[in-house]
Amino acid sequence: MCASPGSASSHGSAPSPSHGCHSPTRLLATRTRRRAHASYNRSTVDASHFDEHSFFSAVHASGVRALLIGRRALVLLGLPLLTADYDYWIAIDDIERFNTLAADFQLHPTRTAADARRHGRYVLENDEHIDVLVARSLPTLHGHPVDFDGLWARRQTIDVRTASVCIPSLDDLILTKQIASRPKDLEDLRLLRILKESAQ
Amino acid sequence: MIPPAVVAAVSRVVDPDELRVALESPIPAEERQQVLELVRWFTTRYASGEARLAYVRQAAARWQRARTTHTS
Repeated sequence: MCASPGSASSHGSAPSPSHGCHSPTRLLATRTRRRAHASYNRSTVDASHFDEHSFFSAVHASGVRALLIGRRALVLLGLPLLTADYDYWIAIDDIERFNTLAADFQLHPTRTAADARRHGRYVLENDEHIDVLVARSLPTLHGHPVDFDGLWARRQTIDVRTASVCIPSLDDLILTKQIASRPKDLEDLRLLRILKESAQ
Repeated sequence: MIPPAVVAAVSRVVDPDELRVALESPIPAEERQQVLELVRWFTTRYASGEARLAYVRQAAARWQRARTTHTS
C-alpha cells in the first residue's frame, strides 16, 4: 500500500512500495524508513569521517574529467538507493591528477597509473572505497560501445553545497548500467527508465 | 562474511535476454506511480543533493553496523 504523497511529506515517512518490484536492497525506504527517520537527526551517527563535500570540491577544482556514476549519481537524481561505495569514470589521461588529489584524503590507489591504464579500472581506498574506471570506451552487454568522451560531452552538473559534481546524462546513465549488467544494475535501469519517461 | 553463493548471485552478469527485458518491457503504471512517489518523498524530505548523499551515507553506516552485529 502506498501512502499518499501529501501524507508522506507531512509526516516525513516514505511511501511504502508494496510488491515484488522493489527489492530490499533497492530502495532504502522499503525496510528502513522508520528507523532511518528516527535516527537521521541524531548527533551520534557513525558514518565515516570522509569529508565528501571537500572531496567533491577538490575533484571539481582540479579540472580532472571525472564523472560520478553508479548509485550515488542516482541518489543525486532523487532515487533513494542504498550504496556504500563511490564509482567514478575518469579520463584516462587524468589518473595521476586524480590520485594526487585523492592522496590528500588518504585514499590510496590499488594500482599504479600505468597498470590502471592496462586494466581499465582500479580502486582508491582507505575506510572508503572508490571504484575508478579509466577506459576510453567500454561495451554494454549487447556490444554497444560507451565512450568516455561522449559521456563527458553530454554530462550534467549537480550542485552539492558549494561543489559541482559531474554525472552522466540520464540516457548515458542507462547505458553505463548496461556495462556491468548485474541484477542490481537491471533494477536501477528500470528506475532510470521511469525517471526518463516522467521527464518527457 | 557473505556466503560465496550469495556473492556469486548478486555479482553475476545477467544474460542478454534479461537485459533486453529490463530495457524494453513495459513498466506497469502501479510500479511507475510508486517509484515516482518515492522520488517525490525523497526530493522533498531531502531537497538538496548534499542532504540526499548524507542520508545515504548514514543509511549505509547503519546497514554496515547491523551487518557487523549479525555476523559477530
